[in-house]
Amino acid sequence: MARKRSREFTRRELLKTTGGAALAAGIGSAFLFPERAAAQQRTLKICQWSHFVPAWDEWFNKHYTVEWGQKNNVNVVVDNINLNDLPARAASEVSAQKGHDLFMFLSPPASHEKNVVDMTHVYQEVERKHGKKIDLAHKSTYNPKTKKYFAFSDAYTPDPGNWHKDWWTAVGYPNGPDTYDDLLDGAVKIRKTTGHPCGLGLAQELDTSMAMRAILWSFGGAEQDEAGNVTLNSKYTVDALKYMKSLYQQTETPEVFTWTPPSNNQAMLAGRVSYVANAISITRQSERENMPIDSEIMISRALKGPVRRIAAEHVMNCYIIWNFADEKDLAQKFLIDYMDHFHDGFVAGQFYNFPCFPKTVPDLQKEISSDSRAHPPDKYKVLGDVLEWATNVGYPGYASAGISEAFYAWLIPTMFAKVARGDETAENAAKAADEEYRRIFARWA
Amino acid sequence: MAIAASKVKSAGAAQSPVLGAAMFSPAVLYILLLIGAPFALAIFYAFSDARIGSTQLHYVGLENFRSILQSPSFRQAVQNSIVFTVGSQLIVVVCATILSLALEAPFRGRGLVRFLILLPWVAPVSLGTIGWKWILDSIYSVITWVLVWLHLFSPYDTPMWLGEPHLAMASVICVHCWRMIPFATVIMLAGSSAIPKEIPEAAEIDGAGYFSTLFRIKIPMMLPIINVAVLFGIIFTFTDMTVVYILTDGGPFDSTQTLPLLAFTTGIQGSDLAAGAAISLFLVPVLVAVAYFMLRVAHRAEVV
Repeated sequence: MARKRSREFTRRELLKTTGGAALAAGIGSAFLFPERAAAQQRTLKICQWSHFVPAWDEWFNKHYTVEWGQKNNVNVVVDNINLNDLPARAASEVSAQKGHDLFMFLSPPASHEKNVVDMTHVYQEVERKHGKKIDLAHKSTYNPKTKKYFAFSDAYTPDPGNWHKDWWTAVGYPNGPDTYDDLLDGAVKIRKTTGHPCGLGLAQELDTSMAMRAILWSFGGAEQDEAGNVTLNSKYTVDALKYMKSLYQQTETPEVFTWTPPSNNQAMLAGRVSYVANAISITRQSERENMPIDSEIMISRALKGPVRRIAAEHVMNCYIIWNFADEKDLAQKFLIDYMDHFHDGFVAGQFYNFPCFPKTVPDLQKEISSDSRAHPPDKYKVLGDVLEWATNVGYPGYASAGISEAFYAWLIPTMFAKVARGDETAENAAKAADEEYRRIFARWA
Repeated sequence: MAIAASKVKSAGAAQSPVLGAAMFSPAVLYILLLIGAPFALAIFYAFSDARIGSTQLHYVGLENFRSILQSPSFRQAVQNSIVFTVGSQLIVVVCATILSLALEAPFRGRGLVRFLILLPWVAPVSLGTIGWKWILDSIYSVITWVLVWLHLFSPYDTPMWLGEPHLAMASVICVHCWRMIPFATVIMLAGSSAIPKEIPEAAEIDGAGYFSTLFRIKIPMMLPIINVAVLFGIIFTFTDMTVVYILTDGGPFDSTQTLPLLAFTTGIQGSDLAAGAAISLFLVPVLVAVAYFMLRVAHRAEVV
């Protein structure tokens, strides 16, 4: 009988008791400490992507923001959404003039400049404590015409090569390809001997966009010059297009036209392709899931082309604060404080987020050279000189609004894909894409 | 006497202009707020220099239309939208007509079959399309796996359902048909069920065979309702972007790019609201013409 009464208490009385206690605690504390109650009402709302390395979200959402919130008496709310949904979400917030206080884009949001707070103050404060930012961050978040920082970049993600050790060793490249000539030569041999294709995408998606820009720049071409004038229709672009056509026709299959951002990860992890250009999310997944292929996938620097060794950042964190945000000052303070703890995030994110302020991770080279998760432990050592070859979208100019629209119109992947399939000559494709760039740039002039 | 009084009162209430307007107003409000306002806004944006990141607007006349007409992607999208719409509607009409005729006759398990056929329509389009994306995936496609298992293709030389321009267009058309056929079937089933049984029976007695009855009596009598299904289908297809967005995102290299998707990528992802609005307005004349014919055909069907 006593046991039965006890069960009834747990099912019904518990709700009443805990509910009453919570209510009393809320009302009581508000009554006794009105200042605190008012302060507790401050809420900082952050919107950002669901990180490719879930451990980073775990650290940010459940540890860092909670601790920062307690210390500053702020309720921090973090909404993680799919990376593809970020532009549409931002557009709806601007349209409603309401939304999050801090919004993180994964590419420079130059078109939002008129709706965001100037981040010069944040950069100054962070630079005062952590030294100068890298040029990549400056070029990705600054508008030289208006002299305004429209975003604040805490981190970027390198876009190295990922190659299959056994296959590349068998065709005479034990250290993987180092140049685009190596890539073509080795990938052709692998395709002939094993059937495995190369995996540079040619689809309308992020990874393809970065990989094709790397080829374009490495061959000397560019979308624009430093002053922002369209320069796509050049001999260099034609050379890059002809190279990609040759690579596709000799080493790839039409699957590369179908890809979405995770596709090259899947193809590499499935042991299907010999080489892809992607961030370290591939190897981090194979390590996390103890996949047998993990020790086969190696990382390499950006490949060297006839003109230079260069690649785009894979992801560029760009935090903005809306003009209409409720907590503009708080959001700025959050970013400044957050950079004091950047190193914790660097470790928690398993080196996915590289620092835009190098002094926040002073021993970066040493840390990435010995990673207990990696097989071998120095797998990521090659990323030590990443700043020598990583650059921003829009190189050698700034990441302007025109560059952003052209990026999302997928003009570069489309240009490469048409030539690769033989649907268009390299000369005509370069000319057509150049005209499209001029049309889009004129709309943002 | 009381009943008569009540009837008079009811009739009076029904004829009351205030009550009528009150009952009608939710529908009007719904249309004004959710269709009229966005439509007016799209027209407003299409003649302005609206950008997502700016709240200031200036009138630019026909500049947006002039600009997008120069875009190869736009011209490709117009062509693809027509192919996508016409291709899918042809398949939908044929399949839905066959299905409606097959499902009309009573047989064991007819209810279950009708339920299963309706499933693609009631399931969320995004979920269904993601399922198809996996079925047609370049690495994990179950169709490709079967073809390789049957030794019809080698593992590294398989059909890329979403990677070859023609195959990609065929794939998006097929998936869209998979979704639209149930809807058209239900409409046509209603139409075929409404045909008086005496007419085909009389034809049968007069010696008409199955196909003769089908093509000379049933289908002609179903024509008005088939027209309604087709016209609804055209509107749903011409304005749809979900299937294309999830399956191909317009690729490979714009070969499945359609107008609604291009309007979205230009206006929302590319931040050029004005150009996006101008692209979406290109749909309007076609849709208005289709809506006009739809209403006329629906009216004719009502008379019949």
